[in-house]
Amino acid sequence: MSDALTPVGKSPGRFTRLRRALGSIRLPLHDPLAIIGLAIYAFFIVMAIFAPQIATHDPNEILFTSEFTIAADLRPGVDGYLLGTTTLGRDVFSQIVWGARSALLIGLTAAFMVALIGSVVGVVAGYFGGWVDMILMRLADVAFGIPFLPFVIVLAAFLEPSIWNVVIAMALVLWRDTGRVIRSQTLTLRNRVYVEAARVSGSSDFKIILRHIVPNVLPLSFLYGSIAIGWAILTEASISFLGFGDPDSISWGYMLQDAYASQALSKGSYYWFVPPGILIILIVSAGFFITRGYEQILFPKLDR
Amino acid sequence: MILLLRTTVLSAILSATVLTPAVAEEIRTINIVTRPQTSQPSEFQFTQLIAQEWRRLGLDVNVQVMPWEQMIQEIWFSREDWDTTAWQMVGRPERSDPDEIIFNLFHSTTAEQGFNFIGYNNPDYDALVEQQRVTLDPDARRDIVRAAQALLVEDQPNMMLAHPQSTYAYNNTVWDAATVVDQSGIGIRNTWSYLQMEPLGDITDIILNSSDNVTAINPLYISGGTDSWITELVYDRLMRIGPDGLPQAWAAESYEWIDDTTITVTLRDDMMWHDGMPVTPDDVVFSFEAAGSGEAPMYGPFVTGIADMTIDGMDITFTLTEPSAPFLTASLAKINLIPMHIWEPVIAEQLTLETNAESYREDVPIGSGPYRFGSWTLNEEVVLEANAKHWAAPNADRWILRIVPNVEAALGMLRSGEINFLSDFPGDPTVVVAAADENPDLTAVSTVDIGFRYVAFNHRRPPFNDPAFRRALSASVDRRLIVGAAFRGYAVPSNSVVSPALAFWHNETTIEGMEAGVELAQQMLADAGYAVVDGRLNYPDGIAETLGE
Amino acid sequence: MKAITVIGGRLLQTAFVLLAVITILFFMFRLMPGSPLAAYIDPNFTPEQQAELMARFGLDQPLWRQYFIYLGNLLQGDLGESFFYRQPVAERVLALLPNTLILTFSSLILAYVFGVFAGAYLAWKRGSVVEQIGVPLVLTTRAMPEFWLGMLLLAVFSFGMGWFPAGGTRAPGAEYDTMWALYTSADFWWHMTLPVLTLAIYSQGLPLLLMRSNMMDVMREDFVTMARIKGLSTFTVVIRHAARNALLPVMTSFAIAVGYQIQGNVIVETVFSWPGLGRELVRAVQTADYPLAQGAFLMIALVVILMNLVADLLYAALDPRVTHE
Repeated sequence: MSDALTPVGKSPGRFTRLRRALGSIRLPLHDPLAIIGLAIYAFFIVMAIFAPQIATHDPNEILFTSEFTIAADLRPGVDGYLLGTTTLGRDVFSQIVWGARSALLIGLTAAFMVALIGSVVGVVAGYFGGWVDMILMRLADVAFGIPFLPFVIVLAAFLEPSIWNVVIAMALVLWRDTGRVIRSQTLTLRNRVYVEAARVSGSSDFKIILRHIVPNVLPLSFLYGSIAIGWAILTEASISFLGFGDPDSISWGYMLQDAYASQALSKGSYYWFVPPGILIILIVSAGFFITRGYEQILFPKLDR
Repeated sequence: MILLLRTTVLSAILSATVLTPAVAEEIRTINIVTRPQTSQPSEFQFTQLIAQEWRRLGLDVNVQVMPWEQMIQEIWFSREDWDTTAWQMVGRPERSDPDEIIFNLFHSTTAEQGFNFIGYNNPDYDALVEQQRVTLDPDARRDIVRAAQALLVEDQPNMMLAHPQSTYAYNNTVWDAATVVDQSGIGIRNTWSYLQMEPLGDITDIILNSSDNVTAINPLYISGGTDSWITELVYDRLMRIGPDGLPQAWAAESYEWIDDTTITVTLRDDMMWHDGMPVTPDDVVFSFEAAGSGEAPMYGPFVTGIADMTIDGMDITFTLTEPSAPFLTASLAKINLIPMHIWEPVIAEQLTLETNAESYREDVPIGSGPYRFGSWTLNEEVVLEANAKHWAAPNADRWILRIVPNVEAALGMLRSGEINFLSDFPGDPTVVVAAADENPDLTAVSTVDIGFRYVAFNHRRPPFNDPAFRRALSASVDRRLIVGAAFRGYAVPSNSVVSPALAFWHNETTIEGMEAGVELAQQMLADAGYAVVDGRLNYPDGIAETLGE
Repeated sequence: MKAITVIGGRLLQTAFVLLAVITILFFMFRLMPGSPLAAYIDPNFTPEQQAELMARFGLDQPLWRQYFIYLGNLLQGDLGESFFYRQPVAERVLALLPNTLILTFSSLILAYVFGVFAGAYLAWKRGSVVEQIGVPLVLTTRAMPEFWLGMLLLAVFSFGMGWFPAGGTRAPGAEYDTMWALYTSADFWWHMTLPVLTLAIYSQGLPLLLMRSNMMDVMREDFVTMARIKGLSTFTVVIRHAARNALLPVMTSFAIAVGYQIQGNVIVETVFSWPGLGRELVRAVQTADYPLAQGAFLMIALVVILMNLVADLLYAALDPRVTHE
């Protein structure tokens, strides 16, 4: 684990600090798997941003073939519907395209929350120790004791069904792994010579944390964040499947639930049931691929 | 200086209040509530469609999705706070007599706590439904029921939508198609089928499915649709609703009306409980007393009209407090006959406890019905065995109910033979029909249901207290659209709470020639004084919006 | 002596976590929207009956009082009465728990056995094409939505080929004298195949990758190099020295995996109509039957917390270098 060594006594300018912090993130560009992962993410980001242009219809609009007949269960290609239509008369292709927005929105927000909370807890607990550490780690223990999926289900019943339930649940519970690991890392860092020296020389705790601890901990945060993106998307799909999803937002999980509730497989509507699943697999795998790239940076003794 | 200022301010205020014409106000955002798509795809779909059409009238409509249990809280228990909601009345054999529906849904006495949660109050209507209750001559009664339906068309207290067609299927190489009974308003999934179905080959067990768990097998607890399939087979009743929808004698060998409020029922003498004891008139009287004891709150309402019961040999004479036309259906065909030697101590004990008879669980429920209890594997399966000693003993050997929450799996099971009677398919009916078309071994049967779907208006909140407004909103959607888009064609349009499945009672003028469409609705609104200003519908002049967002 | 303090400390910690989870659960359920009285809607539900009902379930007491009553009952093993079923919750929950546990343990054993061998194999084939395809493939299996996989397996192997039944734990109407007779019957295993397979495919990724990375670590260590220099065959090296050492962390992760797996069972239980605790929990939440939902949740949490304890103790026992906070 390489350290960003800062000579004691020198106080670098803001930009330098920012650059150094960003530099410590260090995209894993050497690993082909990680590159594939990044490419997949880029693809979905483009899909999400340009959804209105790419989609052929409004994903929520109920479409008709004639006055009293909705365009239900049409096969791909019929009437210009690229991937056919759902049983309730909506365009599958447009729903898939717009689904990228939900996926990225949930994924990135959840990842950010998990990484942020976990890192803050880990750093504070590891650096300050004592009863602060004890309280925070007891909180982590409780978080470890809560079964995650049942918790999201209960939360979804407790609040209104909304895509943010997954994010909230993850923010409340899934910071636990990140927290523990970053705490260990902080403990190691705290005992380094230069940190001791900084404290002896009178630097404030906050400065020390910001200058020495955080840059070294950030790659771990990103590692766990990348995993959290996948978790969030998978959880949202599971919740939707069970009927606790957000009916107002089109997500791939919602599409799968819709297909399931409409007996899509019995109708042979594989064009409806399979693509959202494939896309979920792609985006979650991408997270894992990138994570493995990070593993190389963090644990370089693991040669390929 | 100050005087000038004061005058200016005063005159400004005066002009604003006096000289400004009374402005018609914009109608607030209207909420319409529905259950989620997972559990109620049809309801979810038609709510979206209706909201879409209402928006074209200039209303701002917000669709609120919530599960049934929350709906109860927001609508049933908070009758002031909602605007409109999707709602449903389930078809049951006992509802073959229209009394329960036309009375409970609209009579003013049930507005505070009962099924008239919309707050409808029309003294003329009250009079009509009270009268039909005590009119014993069927033809005279029918005229009154028809008049009541016509009155509802005028008032449009609700926006009636459709009577769904229930679709079920079975394997016709296992069961003789000629013996499967299609009960009017119910479908092939009924007690008569389970009794009369004849096996064609080696398979002699009826294996059917339910997507929901069995909650309880308790004759004093109305615990759910699936549970009632079981209690109807394990327990007898004095009368039963026949395949034609009319009550017929069952445990009663015969009955006779002595006068308007007295009826004598003769009990069959060949009935036995599943534990071997004989069924006596004392058991019958006890069954009705238990229902009214307070320990079975769900059955209480069905025996309140009974003033007295006396026994003479095998005859039981019921004396009613007032004439009751639906007595046979609502009471004699409803109350389960339970063994006194088992339930008397139970009721006595429950009277001393906080709980009631609904909490009592028998290890082996003892009834006298054509099937006896076999086994119950929690959340998975209930097995009933044929009671050979019953006078209407079934042709099948066992009745096996599988709990299958995965709807597609249920269809898969029918195809593979794991089940041979598809008795619950809450999904898309076209799938079942297609499966039967592709596979000659399968037969699918669709039946118009007694039950119906509708959108309820809350009469406590303007503008839903204005019949003209309700009529317009109701007229804005062609029912054929609902049938096609929400029910895939498996429903019939409705403008009455009495289903066409109840051919004797249904008033066909309610739906025949019914006109609908957005243009028509817009005209109706304009005629009633509602104007569209800046794209939004406003109240007629002089009326302001009193309820906030 | 030290071992006892360690175990004692862990037990205390576990008790604290349990209490915290129970408390969180209790307040969440009590504050949920949706009326429990929904179970009691019928034509003539009078205000007096409503009041009676509220009193019977203790819903008319202040929240704090309800909480302590609940805790008191809990200590006596009384989890309250289900609103819908009108039966004791503890009875229901305990009756359904075995079905869930069997699914969890069977699938995890399968996943771990497969994962260990496949992980060792991939470590051995380090740098080869097999590994380059294998690793991403394994990662992909962990990226699948479980119900999607389950439904596809159901569609292909049950509806399509008819090799497996579409749901339940046994054939309709089949009778077994004892639970043991059921669990050891071919019928049961046949019904269990698809759900176990679905869960196992999803779970095997973790032990596989863990085993692989541990193996690669160990294989680099000095004693392995020494053994190689001594001339021992690669196979002996791998099995005797490397594998044994790499296995220990994998075993610890098994305990934790049980905790993770059991809470995800609800999906598979629904797809395969398997009568387990997860499905019961979802149904109870949907119907606002919160004594039952609470009881089911608690049981699952209990398994998770217990497994965490087991993992902690295993970890401490196996690795004396670990310091305790």
